[in-house]
Amino acid sequence: MTPPVWRGVLLVLLASAAAGPLALLVVTSVAGRWLYPSLLPEHLTLESWALLLGRGRLASAAATSLAAAAGTSALAVMLGLPLGRALARLGGWRRWIGAAAAFLPVAAPPIALATGLQLSLLSLGLGGTVPGVILAHAVPALGYVTLFFLGVFHVLDPRIEDEARSLGASRIQTWVRVLGPLLRRPIAEALALGFLVSWAQVPLTLLVGGGIVRTLPVEVLGFVRAGQDRYAATGALLLVIPATLAIGLAGSARRAEAPPL
Amino acid sequence: MWRGDPSINAYVDGWIAPRLLARHGITLRAVEGQGPEIVNQLLVERDARARGSADLIWINGETFHNLREAQLLYGPWAQRLPNVVYVDSTAPTIQRDFEQPTAGYESPWGAVQFALIYDSLRIPRPPGTVAELARWIRAHPGRFTHDQGFTGVAFLKILLYALNGGVETFQGGFDESRYRRGSERVWAWLDSLRPALWRGGSAYPPGVAELHRLFANREVDFSMSMNQNEVVTKVRQGILPPASRALLLRDGTIANSHYLGIPANAPNPAGAMVVANFLLSPEAQLEKLKPEVWADGSVLAVERLPPEWATRFHGATAAGALSSDSLAKYARPEVAPEYHERLAADWRTRIRAGGS
Amino acid sequence: MSPRRIPIAALLAALPTLVGVGYAAGAATGLIGFGAAGFSLRRVASVLGELTVWRGVAWTLTTAAAATLLATAGAVLVATVFRGTARGDRAARALAVLPLVVPHLVAAAVFVFLFGQSGFLARAIHAAGVADAQGVVPTLVYDPLGIGFILALAWKELPFLSLLAFSVLSTRGPELEETARSLGADRRDVFRRVTWPILWRGLLPGVVAVFAFVAGSYEAAILLAPSEPVALPLLTWERYTDPDLARRADAFVLVLVGIGLAAIAVAVHEWARARWERFEG
Repeated sequence: MTPPVWRGVLLVLLASAAAGPLALLVVTSVAGRWLYPSLLPEHLTLESWALLLGRGRLASAAATSLAAAAGTSALAVMLGLPLGRALARLGGWRRWIGAAAAFLPVAAPPIALATGLQLSLLSLGLGGTVPGVILAHAVPALGYVTLFFLGVFHVLDPRIEDEARSLGASRIQTWVRVLGPLLRRPIAEALALGFLVSWAQVPLTLLVGGGIVRTLPVEVLGFVRAGQDRYAATGALLLVIPATLAIGLAGSARRAEAPPL
Repeated sequence: MWRGDPSINAYVDGWIAPRLLARHGITLRAVEGQGPEIVNQLLVERDARARGSADLIWINGETFHNLREAQLLYGPWAQRLPNVVYVDSTAPTIQRDFEQPTAGYESPWGAVQFALIYDSLRIPRPPGTVAELARWIRAHPGRFTHDQGFTGVAFLKILLYALNGGVETFQGGFDESRYRRGSERVWAWLDSLRPALWRGGSAYPPGVAELHRLFANREVDFSMSMNQNEVVTKVRQGILPPASRALLLRDGTIANSHYLGIPANAPNPAGAMVVANFLLSPEAQLEKLKPEVWADGSVLAVERLPPEWATRFHGATAAGALSSDSLAKYARPEVAPEYHERLAADWRTRIRAGGS
Repeated sequence: MSPRRIPIAALLAALPTLVGVGYAAGAATGLIGFGAAGFSLRRVASVLGELTVWRGVAWTLTTAAAATLLATAGAVLVATVFRGTARGDRAARALAVLPLVVPHLVAAAVFVFLFGQSGFLARAIHAAGVADAQGVVPTLVYDPLGIGFILALAWKELPFLSLLAFSVLSTRGPELEETARSLGADRRDVFRRVTWPILWRGLLPGVVAVFAFVAGSYEAAILLAPSEPVALPLLTWERYTDPDLARRADAFVLVLVGIGLAAIAVAVHEWARARWERFEG
């Protein structure tokens, strides 16, 4: 075993790497003027948080983000689960092509993906709408989720399903009684995955949303680029804290058994 | 429109929008997008044969040039607005946008002037000309830089004028040979100062907001702005230090206007004109001028206004702001948009790429 | 879904990317978009002949590789040191994964707040009595070597790779390691012959994905990357929004360069994934 001292040092490092940036964001979000060399803000203000609570821009951005992420993750899982399952049953070049096609939108530079999507979705009349943004986000999310389920079904013995069927279970019964319980956790994890892909997305939202659909990360980028650190920090906390809590609740860190991407 | 400044947002969302709704039943929804992004959005909308997403856009200069060139603007309409009678029709910086006749394809919204920003506690006696600025930079290595965005290019243009006998050299359309000769002097000026620039001229902040951050945190001693009054609003927002002041170089600084245009594919051009007309009203222009609101210059001629409005306009000058006399004295118009495009492109190859 | 239709369905999912590639190819060669004047490779040749472009590509690839390596090393370290079931191990694993949801943008912004020339570190040094604290702090923002960019993104990607490493070790590790031990292997041998091979095979697909995200990140680059060389995503955006409309076609040439790099990543990822599948199944 590693000597306890090093474990301790590493643990402290991990704790500060996790908590330090968060603490700094919290202070920045309530800081009045805070210029170098002041170690602490000259005064504190809750102005940017009031903007959130007073149904301002941050609140509506949070709502938009939530809607887009929920829609994206549902769509990605509905399509990605059967795709991943089917890919896992394939062999040879078919599986290769399928998995490569799924990974392409994940690896493609967001700007490249966004220009293509912008043209397609605007032609469909979905430019500047939340459904259009959901479809756009769903493209990379579907890639992730498909690969995720490819991994899940690769490990899951197909004979379980076949056996259930041969014992007389109908297709629906097989899904509900056999696969359902087995897949409950992977589905929850895949929903979280799809949610996160949308939650942090910037370039796709900007180009397909055309400046009209304002999600949290888009607002934060705007604030950062305009030097409005207080608002940027508030928006960043809104992005990070609820999602972190959700992950903590899911307890995925402790019982991680997700297959590789 | 650009949505990066809370003061501007508060004016548009909190003051303009409710009045439009109450008086005209128009719901104004401001959306994000500036300059090149607007042009790209409209180009893609046309390629995709999509319905327009915006009715009114905030533009000027090379964006106007690009949109006109690509035939993406609706018009002419601006001269039909009732409030156009108050507009200062003698000011060349309002009637012509980067030397281009606006021709009714855009309606003026605000008038601004370039200023350097300094901290009067750090520099009690700032340099007043381009030559003095060069001496100051040499004497204080690492304390000056400019940004890579629109404001930085405006600064390059000020150098272009100052090092080549004034704006007159470049007026009357783009001239390649004049540009070449003139810009060589700009590059030589920057090259000779490079070792004394911030980070030895090897790095430049991407945009003016990043430059403000460097200035406010004492990494450099100057910032700059395309609005001489921005220093007032940014001090109030706590982004710039309290003793920050605007500074006009006596060689002349760029004055220009920003405008409102209607895209060719706008779903509701009539509504857009009602909005543009209200934005041009004495009431809206005065509110916008107030230092505690936006401190954006008015495009109206005070002497054309009804007397009760004229007095109110006279009363509205910001503390810490520059006097309108000195502003007018040092104001220089924009020249053809090609100068802007070429300075931006050539700066990247001549100065930025040679910096490391 | 019948097996035959699967590749078609997957291709359908990749369709938007392919539309993007098609549009970029058309716009780069003068077939579509503003100012399209018929097929010509002039733009492509001129962009690919620019030194700036290749310096940008090289910068993007090296910094992305460095950030990915650093994050991978960190993930392997955390996952192997804190494998146990003690409270400390569980806390460490939770802490490592905690910043999972931090977007690139926020990671980069926080990095500037902390380690920029006027960041918290410089202020703390100043408060400790060093007058020229800004001169003492290393220049990590806009730094040509991209050390700040590398550190910020390594921190951002650590949770994802850690999570992956935990899951790889917990699902595949114990049995095989037990077998090796029962066959008489010592601790070092177990790590070298069993734990490490499992870890890197399991991590590799995720590592490739992380490399692709870092290389494609615009939001972090705009805040941290140097003025020169210009990172590929920044250069693409710069050309896409050039004041001169004619130069915007350049952006699509750069988009194609980016897609080409992504295609290489896809191939490597597939190779790595197939290896892991064989190993696993």
